[in-house]
Amino acid sequence: MKISKSIYKLIIPFLIIHISVISFAGVNELSDYYKTIRCLVCEGQSIQESDTEFAINLKEQIQKKYNSGIPIKEINQELIKIYGEEISFDPPKNHILLWGMPLIVLIIIFIFIRNKIRFFKRV
Amino acid sequence: MISYLGNSIIYISLVLTILFYINLLKKVIPSTTSSLKLIYFINLIPFGLLIYAFSISDFTLLNVVENSYVDDPFFYKVTSAWGSHEGSILLWVFLINLFGVFFLYKNQTVEIHKNILFISTLFILYVIVSSNPFIYVEANENVLGLGLNPILQHFLFVIHPPTLFLGYIGLIVPFVISAHMLVNKKFSEKLFKEMLIWSKISWFFLTGGIVLGSYWAYSELGWGGWWFWDPVENISLIPWLLNTALIHSLQVSIKSNQLKLWSLNLGLYCFIASVFGTFLVRSNLIVSVHSFATDPLRGLFLIIIIAYLLAMTVRLNIKSISNFNEDSFDLISRESFLLLNNIFFICSALVVFIGTVYPLFSEMILKTSVSVGAPYYNFAFNLLLAPLILFMAFAPQISWGKHEKKDEQIPFIIIFSLLVCLVSYYFLNNFYFALSVFITVPLFLKSILVLKSNFNKNISFYSQWLAHMSIGFFIIAAVYTEQFDYEENLLFEKESTNEIKLQNNKTAIIKNIKDEKFQNYQKISVDLLISDGQKEKELSPSKNIYQPSGQVTNEVSTTNNLFSQYYATISTIESNKVGINLVYKPFINLLWLSAIMLIFSIFLSVVKKR
Amino acid sequence: MKRNLLLPVVGLVVLVVSVLFYFNQSTNKNNSRDEVSILIFKTPDFINNKLINENTLGEFYIVNFFASWCKPCLAEHPLLMEMKKKGVKIIGINFRDDEENFKEWINEHGNPFEYILRDDGTIAYEMGLIGVPETFFILNKIIQKKIQGPLFYEDIEKYL
Repeated sequence: MKISKSIYKLIIPFLIIHISVISFAGVNELSDYYKTIRCLVCEGQSIQESDTEFAINLKEQIQKKYNSGIPIKEINQELIKIYGEEISFDPPKNHILLWGMPLIVLIIIFIFIRNKIRFFKRV
Repeated sequence: MISYLGNSIIYISLVLTILFYINLLKKVIPSTTSSLKLIYFINLIPFGLLIYAFSISDFTLLNVVENSYVDDPFFYKVTSAWGSHEGSILLWVFLINLFGVFFLYKNQTVEIHKNILFISTLFILYVIVSSNPFIYVEANENVLGLGLNPILQHFLFVIHPPTLFLGYIGLIVPFVISAHMLVNKKFSEKLFKEMLIWSKISWFFLTGGIVLGSYWAYSELGWGGWWFWDPVENISLIPWLLNTALIHSLQVSIKSNQLKLWSLNLGLYCFIASVFGTFLVRSNLIVSVHSFATDPLRGLFLIIIIAYLLAMTVRLNIKSISNFNEDSFDLISRESFLLLNNIFFICSALVVFIGTVYPLFSEMILKTSVSVGAPYYNFAFNLLLAPLILFMAFAPQISWGKHEKKDEQIPFIIIFSLLVCLVSYYFLNNFYFALSVFITVPLFLKSILVLKSNFNKNISFYSQWLAHMSIGFFIIAAVYTEQFDYEENLLFEKESTNEIKLQNNKTAIIKNIKDEKFQNYQKISVDLLISDGQKEKELSPSKNIYQPSGQVTNEVSTTNNLFSQYYATISTIESNKVGINLVYKPFINLLWLSAIMLIFSIFLSVVKKR
Repeated sequence: MKRNLLLPVVGLVVLVVSVLFYFNQSTNKNNSRDEVSILIFKTPDFINNKLINENTLGEFYIVNFFASWCKPCLAEHPLLMEMKKKGVKIIGINFRDDEENFKEWINEHGNPFEYILRDDGTIAYEMGLIGVPETFFILNKIIQKKIQGPLFYEDIEKYL
């Protein structure tokens, strides 16, 4: 009983940091947004880094839409509808196996250690 | 001639190896150490031969024709030897045997060496089956060679792959030692110490290789970034993360006799991860900037090697898993915190692994293609590394076994760092930077305080201190560069505009445009001045056009401003206009400095004994 | 005994699965948009400056993206000419090109297109263009097939 209590003491700072990271994660600016779009003709680069006709055109089109007041979220949805999920380096959150993985792995390892390693009780 | 020689040496070594194993089975061992030495040395020859063939441009070898060019500078001719797939696999064989030779000086246990030799033989078979660099072609006077990919003609590229390979293959020693101890179920402190030293050596090269690769990408690819979460980069990161975990858990195994099975099982996976990395790069399964042209047979054979090693590893895991619960220690103790470190590093390695193979999985199972990139990894690493670094501040001062005295500084340090964090958030208005301040300030503060305390200080303390400090610097620098860099696209027109005002009130001026001819390329460079009225900074980005392929590369030009850097590339160059892409990278040099400190710290801890 | 059996089985399964993974590289990337963009019918034709009449177009037609700066486009040009001879209707979309260069290109190599639209990249974006040349085969307003890169004889055999 005592042990599990002190484990929670350790876990609380993680949770605080985790929640704050999750709530703040997001892209605000256009050039940051470009970094999340894959240049489909150039093997692993984002359009921000690429000078191909494909990337230049995409940047121009997105800029046009952005300037006319369409929020980035909607631009992104449209882009994914046109080019498929592959275009975005930021996979949709419904890939639970992917996004949940850090926590799943952490939990598995914690359970493993709890079962396999005996902690002395603190006096 | 060289083709004939190379092939025969490979077969001779194969025959000798088989004889060695037959003798081992029959238990007639006249002088095993010297026969081991002989086989190791024979296995070193083929790669030397290949280098020789490249250096004299021997076009009777297909591999030389495909990867070298007569007029390349001598230096690049030699380094083309590992620019191709065949060459790099031969380098892999060479390095396995090199480590074998060095390890033989320290430890003559045949039981361990036979495993090194076995793995080396697997790769020699691989060379024979699907990637033989010694394939003969009829010499022809008109053949000038197809040339090394010009993007690879860079000094850093020359040392980057061998360094990284040294790191990968250095992990073979912890691998065979772990396997040996797990099979025999006899744990000796001597072997654990050897394992630690070799994993530190490997860590030294791995870190060096990763940093070199990153610096090469930064200064050669011209994209202005230093880490792209490209599959190949990820793959070099996985063994690094696992190896970091291994170094920490081995401390526990040596100093307090705990977590032995844990370290040994981890030691197995470090090497598996590096073989797996090679496989992913070579098989072209995952699209990346580093893609090599390949045929399916190559990947298949590597898969068989990995599947075999993995099956053996899993077998040893299952055997040892029932004995895991022998470990016990206090919850607040050094052991416990090192274990925590392991959890986070292993977890990060798994996350990188999953992110890298997820697109593959998704395409085959879910039938949709996705790309996993920076947003995912940033999310996952923030999650995992933030708490880790926070603990890194306090964990090194916690005593082994059982921690008795409470550290009264902790609340003050946390409150202080929270204050600094809030202040930095108020002024810079950036969440990520504030977070990085919050997690690194305790580390810096505690590091300074511990220097004044009467904590036991020796070389291993200082190397650990330096390593942790440089991680702190690295994080601050990395977050700052990524959050506060800015980019400008300047378009100069020849007649009208050759001066443009920048965002930070400086002016960019074009001086002149040069067109020069070199041994194997033509260079068009632009001289650019950035001035603020008094001081001037010079930049000269260029475009190189290489012979014989006609391929064009962008050459980056940078100029330093203490820790910050201007980074310029030519985006377009036409008869009447010049486009320059100018990036301001604050604190980027601190990042490289911290990486050098990190490498130096491990160097310190490796050499301290001698 | 059981444990000894388990291990080879696990190894075998790992091997089989990994081999399957390796050879089963499906190229199913069919999750992008499959309807033709209406912008095609809202952009005036370059030659007679009229909008394309959907009714005269018929239910099957081809949309081909090209540019004068694009070398592979020249490689597929004869095939397009041949298709035109056989009466296949092709809408040519000139992607991000200089007007003079484009006119010169058409005059020099001939015009295989029923209609030609000039595009600053907007139509290309809507259609999900990856790079020129790219050809879309359209039946009843639905994109049946798209071919990235120059066409080969085998690709269009059945339309000739």
